[in-house]
Amino acid sequence: MRQSLFAIFACLVGCLLGCAKPEEKKGVDTPEKQTGPKQTIGVSLLTLDNPFFKVIGDNITAEGLKHGYDTIVVSGDKDVAKQSNQIKDFIVKKVSAIVLSPCDSKSIIPVIQEANAAGIPVFTVDIPCNEPGVKIATQIATDNYGGGKEAGQAMIEALGEAGGKVAVLHFKQAESCLLRVKGFTEVIDAHNASSTAKIEVVAELESSGAKDMGYKAAEDSLQAHPDLRGIFAINDPAALGARAALEKANKTQQVQIIGFDGQPEGKQAIKEGKIYADPIQFPDKMGIQIVDAIIRHSKGEELPAQMLIPTSLYRKADAEADPELK
Amino acid sequence: MTTPLLEMRDIVKSFPGVQALRGVSLSLRPGEVLALLGENGAGKSTLMKVLGGAHRADAGTIAVNGRETVFQTPQDSRRAGVAVIYQEFNLVPGLTACENIFLGQEVTRAGFVSRTQERRRATELFQRLGVEINLNVPCRLLSTAQQQLVEIAKALAFEARIIVMDEPSAALTSHEVERLFDIIRDLKKHGIGVIYISHRLDEIFTIADRVTVLRDGTNVGERPLSEMSRSNMIELMVGRELKDEFPHRATAIGPARLEVMGLRSGSAVRDVTFTVRRGEILALTGLVGAGRTETVRLLFGADRRDSGDIRLDGKLLSIRSPRDAIAAGIGLLTEDRKHQGLVLRHSVRENFGVPNLDRLSQFGFVQQQQEREEFGRYVSTLKIKVPSQEQLAGNLSGGNQQKVVLAKWLARNCEVLIFDEPTRGIDVGAKYEIYLLMNELVAQGKSIIMISSEMPEVLGMADRILVMHEGRITGEIADARRATQEQIMELAVA
Amino acid sequence: MFLVLVLLCAFFSVATFSEQSPTGEAAAKQLASVIEQQFGSTPRVLIVAREQPGDSEFASSLEQKLVTSGAKVHAVVKGEPRDAREALVKISSSGEQLDVIACTPAAAAWLVFSDLKNDFPMLDNPQIVKPQSYRWPNFLKAANVLNIANQIAVIAIIAIGMTMVIITGGIDLSVGSLIALSAVLAGLFIRDYAGATNASAIGMTSACVAAILICGLIGAFSGAMITLFRIPPFIVTLAMMLVGSGLAYLLAKGESIYQIPDSFVWLGRGASFVNLPNAVVLMLVLYGAAQVLMSRMKLGRYIYAVGGNREAARLSGVPVRSVLMFAYIASALLAGLGGVIMASQLKSGSATYGNMYELYVIAAVVVGGTSLSGGEGEMCGTLIGALTIAVIQNGMNLTNVESYTQKVVLGLVILGAVLLDKIRHGE
Repeated sequence: MRQSLFAIFACLVGCLLGCAKPEEKKGVDTPEKQTGPKQTIGVSLLTLDNPFFKVIGDNITAEGLKHGYDTIVVSGDKDVAKQSNQIKDFIVKKVSAIVLSPCDSKSIIPVIQEANAAGIPVFTVDIPCNEPGVKIATQIATDNYGGGKEAGQAMIEALGEAGGKVAVLHFKQAESCLLRVKGFTEVIDAHNASSTAKIEVVAELESSGAKDMGYKAAEDSLQAHPDLRGIFAINDPAALGARAALEKANKTQQVQIIGFDGQPEGKQAIKEGKIYADPIQFPDKMGIQIVDAIIRHSKGEELPAQMLIPTSLYRKADAEADPELK
Repeated sequence: MTTPLLEMRDIVKSFPGVQALRGVSLSLRPGEVLALLGENGAGKSTLMKVLGGAHRADAGTIAVNGRETVFQTPQDSRRAGVAVIYQEFNLVPGLTACENIFLGQEVTRAGFVSRTQERRRATELFQRLGVEINLNVPCRLLSTAQQQLVEIAKALAFEARIIVMDEPSAALTSHEVERLFDIIRDLKKHGIGVIYISHRLDEIFTIADRVTVLRDGTNVGERPLSEMSRSNMIELMVGRELKDEFPHRATAIGPARLEVMGLRSGSAVRDVTFTVRRGEILALTGLVGAGRTETVRLLFGADRRDSGDIRLDGKLLSIRSPRDAIAAGIGLLTEDRKHQGLVLRHSVRENFGVPNLDRLSQFGFVQQQQEREEFGRYVSTLKIKVPSQEQLAGNLSGGNQQKVVLAKWLARNCEVLIFDEPTRGIDVGAKYEIYLLMNELVAQGKSIIMISSEMPEVLGMADRILVMHEGRITGEIADARRATQEQIMELAVA
Repeated sequence: MFLVLVLLCAFFSVATFSEQSPTGEAAAKQLASVIEQQFGSTPRVLIVAREQPGDSEFASSLEQKLVTSGAKVHAVVKGEPRDAREALVKISSSGEQLDVIACTPAAAAWLVFSDLKNDFPMLDNPQIVKPQSYRWPNFLKAANVLNIANQIAVIAIIAIGMTMVIITGGIDLSVGSLIALSAVLAGLFIRDYAGATNASAIGMTSACVAAILICGLIGAFSGAMITLFRIPPFIVTLAMMLVGSGLAYLLAKGESIYQIPDSFVWLGRGASFVNLPNAVVLMLVLYGAAQVLMSRMKLGRYIYAVGGNREAARLSGVPVRSVLMFAYIASALLAGLGGVIMASQLKSGSATYGNMYELYVIAAVVVGGTSLSGGEGEMCGTLIGALTIAVIQNGMNLTNVESYTQKVVLGLVILGAVLLDKIRHGE
């Protein structure tokens, strides 16, 4: 009895020891000019399920290490209460900067205010928190509006002379998606004003930015509009869900899909011709930019309220030339 | 002399705080029925659990067919040819008889269970036992006697050489017991050794060849049955001489107390009417399934009745739940103490408290001091053997459990007490004490309804006897002293 | 169980043993004497601190001490690196020079000071000094201990109701959804009926009470389904989990409700009693009350009896239905209270709150030693269980354990803790 008691305890401790990285071990190549305790960046992202955020986190860690920062990356799991606790723990740890993609831009306010009160600079990435009463050092995001415009261009290009009916797979809760759709519709409207090949947005359906919901939404819009010609999905999972619906309905030739993001799975689909094109984001650049902003802030430089990273349109030709897709 | 089938030597087993076995020895020859006797708590069940591999002995040896073996798990003991049929059967209620028999030893062909072959073998087994059992229904739908036969068939299926039966007759009618004995005689002929545990001494005289008596975890006697008398056995078990199994009492029966009129519930209870008088023990008897327990449960509000009036001292009672019955001063000591009478995982004090909390609490707060004192009084007056008030109810012997249940109701000052099989699974010494308590209660002017399947108990304790059959009262014997077993049986099967 | 908690605390104390940066008056005093020793009594000084209470106190106090001892303090910066740069530019351009830059430990690490020789050659290469640091576990800092208690308050409070339900032999899966529902309702009532951001204390209180009572109604509904129709609690509360969550999303229309006055955070983040957060005080009071209820009161004994053996309890005259109803209503009310606290902590209500909380609550109860088969369990155990979970989560955040690994470890530790308890009790 005693023995197994001990064994279990030993396992527990071993388990924790294995996971807990003592704080000062990492970052051997600390620049000499660093004085005092190690500088740490605390990062809490919306979720790590989505490779987009994973890439951001990984790049912050890598870039931070180059400049002598330790980085803690945690996932808020879309649960704002959990994220709040993570930020509180960062404050207790006295990290030198907090990077955040808020799970809810309203509910996160109190805890950002706590960080402000503790004198720790807060940087937001991808999802902004432009609320009164909070101090954000800077917001780093993709230029979603510009990206949406690119998507509109791609749609015009894809439908060509004929024009036709188009459905949008939306995710209205996300501000970034609102911007994407805004850019998209503006370009389409401008096109319709000048061209005879009219493109008509016949449906805006909720997709939650997820495959299963995208699939259902696309299926429904195909039922309502059998002559549908294009689908603009606000991210890759929704686009891939829509593609599955097209395959089931045997309409892959008739309907063209424009996605967004440029995740590996999306890029692969573009290469295979399943998605026509994506305005792609650059999460790696975002990660690097964040660390740069943290350093500039610490050096006392002025930072703009928002730093936008432009997207670029990614078509089949780009995919075929992409070394990552081998 | 042949090698004994089973030889247990100097078995020692202790549990935290209790030395259950202090070096018990036992031997069993092929084709022999050995009766294992002893009061509850004497160590019989523990010894059998050691034999069945459910407990590991701290010391001592077990030899089967002269070969010493160690039983670590029930599987080990089964492999050695030992089958233990516990009082609470070891059947999976949702599986059929056939599935239960071959549970753990499925007849397979190419990895698949061969149902046809299993059914054929099961049918063979039941034919050998001379019974017919529906192989298609789940075991929970079978009667107690049928379930027991399934257990025996299970033992035969893996060719057990040693079969232990722990209180096999407790829930059987006398007719069913007769058939069980026929089966045991048949097993003997096949050289199977049977260890038979029972409190019913009559049965021991009918079936056993030899008797081993345990008391307080030690052997106190082992003799062939022919050298034993009934009083011998009782003396050995309780360690003192018992003059009479049933204590005498002076009866002073008063006016009618509880009147039940036209009680009905489906086909289980059909128009039952009776009265119980002050200072009277009324026995309700009949075969198992006659509707006796059902009747008192309706009376107590435990089940919903279709119709019927209940009056206490002439006043009509509105009983819709046990709570109402208790408030009116009726208490029920259920036949199944473990599942209906006690919370086994809670202390005896807490069990005692439950029906009395209304009285023992103020503004919702339990007056723990008062509760302890009151229970303490009952512990001493009822001679409940507990090391402390915090002892878990599940760790007590049957007799002591029954006394705790009794204390619950006495503290409520119940005027009418219903005892459903008051001495089932209780040893001789404790039985006598329960009888004395019942006598004392009626002497105080309380009324008792006693359900019992044991004829001697009915004849020895009751003032008046009601016999039930198929949900009806088929007869009343006004003077129980002059009744005979035959008379009752006639009414019970009418 | 307590043993596991103590061991975990000890482990995390060791693992988070690290350098601490003192601020405030004491640090100022120490640094002032260092400056006097190294640079004489009349050095030219710039004081830099962050805009934060402790740092601010340090800066003001240091300035006062240095001025009285005769030093020349050029400027006191309380702010960000940018403010420090501005001050340096100003001093440099006015032709002044500096001997010392006195910083708080956090400010000393700012990169603005990393290359003074090249960036500000006119300043005559000032030295950077900061208060001496000491070593102490991050985990054991008073602020962190309160942090842990505050983080677990919601789960711990709901676990009180869950303990009762589990002791009756049931389960309540709907608590997570009721958190969301209650938070949304409270937000909605404040926004729509109590005057939004101008709501009065009475208005906010009634909104919260109303939200909690509505949750209580849902609990009563679950209890009625369970007692009257004998539907297993697992199924009833699973259904209520979906209903509650769906209602919350419907009512909030998928958005968070934030039109709430600032004073609403009093419950979740205020501390009006000796620095203890109000939520923690509330939690302790509720645990005290629940402990008394379960161990001293008739109702508590009935709850144990119903869970221990329902039929025996019924035949002993226990009002089984009412007892079960009480347990489910209490559980739902406490979940509602948890939702209000969470809304207060986050100053908004959203349907996404409380996702998966039922599992953490059940874990807290089980780690606390309550048996899922009913009839046994202690309130203190549940509190310890909740704290154990909070300590593991907080400790791993402090020791840089990555999110997914945290889940794996938490799962294993919950299992290990229960196993350890079983073995210790010799089963």
